[in-house]
Amino acid sequence: MSEELLRLRDLRLTLPARGGPREILRGVDLTVGPGEAVGLVGESGSGKSMTVRAVTRLLPAGARVSGEVRLAGRDVLALDDAGLRRLRGTSVALVFQDPRAHVNPVHTVGDFLVENAVRVARLPRDEAVTRALAALRDVGIDDGQRRLHQYPHELSGGLLQRVTIAAALLQGPDLVLADEPTTALDVTTQEEVMAVLDEQRRERGMGMLFISHDLDLADAVCDRIAVMKDGEVVEEQPADRLRAAASHPYTVMLMRARPSLTEPVRRAPRPAADGQAPDGQAPDGQAPDGQAPDGRAPEGRPPDVLRVRGLRKVYRVRRPARGAEELVAVEGADLVVPDGGSVAVVGTSGSGKTTLAHMVVGLVRPTAGTVEVQGVEWSAGRLSARERRRRGGVVQMVFQDPYSSLDRRQTVRQCLVEVLAVHTALAGAAREARVLELLEQVGLGAEHAGQRPRSLSGGQRQRVAIARALAAGPRLLILDEAVAALDVSIQAQVLRLLERIRAELGVAYLFISHDLPVVRRVCEQVVVMDRGRVVESGPVEQVLERPAAAYTRDLIASVPREGWRPRRRARSRSVVSTV
Amino acid sequence: MTAASPPLARRRLLVPARLSASRALVAVAVALLAVVAAAAVLAPVLAPHDPTAVDLLAANAPASATHPLGTDQNGRDILSRLLFGARSSLVGPAIVVAASMALGVLLALAGAWYGGWVDAAAARVVDVVFAFPGLVLAIVAATMFGTGFVAPVVALSVAYVPVIARVVRAAALHERHLPYVAALRLQGVSTPRIWLRHLLPNLSGLLVVQAGVGFGYAMLDLAAIAYLGLGPQPPSSDWGVMVAEGQSSILEGFPQQSLYGSLVVLATVVSLNLVSGALADRFGVAAVTQ
Repeated sequence: MSEELLRLRDLRLTLPARGGPREILRGVDLTVGPGEAVGLVGESGSGKSMTVRAVTRLLPAGARVSGEVRLAGRDVLALDDAGLRRLRGTSVALVFQDPRAHVNPVHTVGDFLVENAVRVARLPRDEAVTRALAALRDVGIDDGQRRLHQYPHELSGGLLQRVTIAAALLQGPDLVLADEPTTALDVTTQEEVMAVLDEQRRERGMGMLFISHDLDLADAVCDRIAVMKDGEVVEEQPADRLRAAASHPYTVMLMRARPSLTEPVRRAPRPAADGQAPDGQAPDGQAPDGQAPDGRAPEGRPPDVLRVRGLRKVYRVRRPARGAEELVAVEGADLVVPDGGSVAVVGTSGSGKTTLAHMVVGLVRPTAGTVEVQGVEWSAGRLSARERRRRGGVVQMVFQDPYSSLDRRQTVRQCLVEVLAVHTALAGAAREARVLELLEQVGLGAEHAGQRPRSLSGGQRQRVAIARALAAGPRLLILDEAVAALDVSIQAQVLRLLERIRAELGVAYLFISHDLPVVRRVCEQVVVMDRGRVVESGPVEQVLERPAAAYTRDLIASVPREGWRPRRRARSRSVVSTV
Repeated sequence: MTAASPPLARRRLLVPARLSASRALVAVAVALLAVVAAAAVLAPVLAPHDPTAVDLLAANAPASATHPLGTDQNGRDILSRLLFGARSSLVGPAIVVAASMALGVLLALAGAWYGGWVDAAAARVVDVVFAFPGLVLAIVAATMFGTGFVAPVVALSVAYVPVIARVVRAAALHERHLPYVAALRLQGVSTPRIWLRHLLPNLSGLLVVQAGVGFGYAMLDLAAIAYLGLGPQPPSSDWGVMVAEGQSSILEGFPQQSLYGSLVVLATVVSLNLVSGALADRFGVAAVTQ
């Protein structure tokens, strides 16, 4: 037999779909040598996950496969059920994207780790436990004895993903299939997990097929990169030559689309709001509630569109036997968004950035602190529809998930018309014209007006969500991880769109994100939050190039980029997730 | 090699066969329900005889050209009685479903929307009602307010609220926390509009399925109450009443009245459950039975 560990030859896969079978894989050729790490990079729908599933034949019902899948000399497509089970339990191990969805929540970590050893490899339980502890130590979990008795919900996402890696290692596989193993994790956690995976793979000489949408990340941990598009591998290059040698236009596009932490940013000229226009106070003529803009606006400049002072949110969590406990989500945040400006709030999950945004718009009631919009303080609490309408005309929000942020039963037109009916007196032809204008502003056409969300792509849906927000004519747009769920190429388009909208309409942005390169591209100011506290703020260039806080430095260091390698930091403060 | 793996091939063979069988069954069920509904509406036109016309000379007659299903112990035409009986047997459950859905959905939406003490209060109400089986409540109501059509229907309407409220609350809670609802609130869309134009339409699949399942249960319960003599009284031709009235003739060797009465109830309820199940699959929701 050949020396290849995994060989895919002309792998084709069709899935049944409405309107006839759909070809998902169109002849994939790929090899992984023993001890070699191959990165399979592509956007959603490229077929990379189905390729991995085909290797273990974990395919959806009705799938038709043809071609050759040869793993360690065995013809996977010809194996019977028993052979397949042996193969899955021993030669190949899987690490999935969302560890929480792939670990049975009713079993302890210990049960999860020893199950395979006891059931498939038929080891005595004591020995299986000893091995499990060793594997946990290898992935950087020292207090394994305690962890074995814990349930998945008691561990953080990063910790749990390390547990699933330990489980994969325990099988002693020749090949690890890692399907976006860090996509659901924070950047800093991603670095930890990737470092562990990379280190263990090298130490044990395992082969790895690493699926990712992130070219930089794959590049950092793989020997060879295969780029997939529409069910085919369009380019294959050694990782160290990828940037120089990439020739396929799609690969080049993928590399260019992703904003970088180092390249200079050409910024769109700042909208007129800045200073020199003494004629207008606020852009829409008058301040809300008829109050004159107060003295805080020096030299005729419009007041800052948003001022947040000492905003604090404490949740009371009731715990059995321990009484109530206080959980501080946001600890006294201060923030200013100038009119027409763009300010980012960055931080890892649990930093309080989303809670902060929700307090600004009134979705969450602050425990303390004030929110001031266009110089007027916004009271907290349950609001009448009229008050919500008034505020909605000034501040709007775009959410992370483009799938659930639109009503799935409404057409795009109905969605926009509903907003226009609330905020404008437009009717008939004028309203229709405004709908088309809004669609055009977000790069959609009249042909999309009659469509429902399910027939739109993720990028198109997010555009509709942006159009809906703009329909209210806001002065401030809160973008809550608004591009995080989008593919790299779509993300680049939406980022360009956001830049254009800000330049054209002078809308200010409060940009909630965990993604530093994106923030650097879109924003002028940045506020860094860690565990509810603002640890640093200032102009983007200054904060990203000369970070003052250790947390910011960690955040920057963990962003994959050219020449980057994941490093294991000091044995992590093994944070047990609460709630 | 191009052969698909063996387990996949086997599965491919099985799936369409099972699907088409159940599809045919659902079609039959739909047809049956249509017939029952038509019978209720067109009873005066279709019925060959007056359902209450007594003809003691023709008592317990076997099926014949004049009496296609025979007659009961009083010589009344069974087919005509079944056709007219469809009215009270369908209207009762319809009222039960409509009333319990209205109340249950209101409690569910209020609880899911406002949370906090509203949700807690709604949950308490639901828990208390849940403690009484529908049939028991209906029997109590009948003894307190007298037998007849109204008391059991009111009692069941109340008794069915908890199931509806719980199922809908869970779905509404999920729906309420989707970002599009937050977006609507931030736009200043009024709460009634969000409920009526967004939440309810998005829950409609679940509501339709629950209505179907509830209808079947209400029909069975009402038939049981009528059988016990606490519902509509003779000479009503309610199907439950027919089953009860016919049982004395069974021992005399004339089972037709009870038999046909029960068969019609059975066929209608089974059809309702089949159709609800099919709708549940179609809408991707789970039908919850009591």
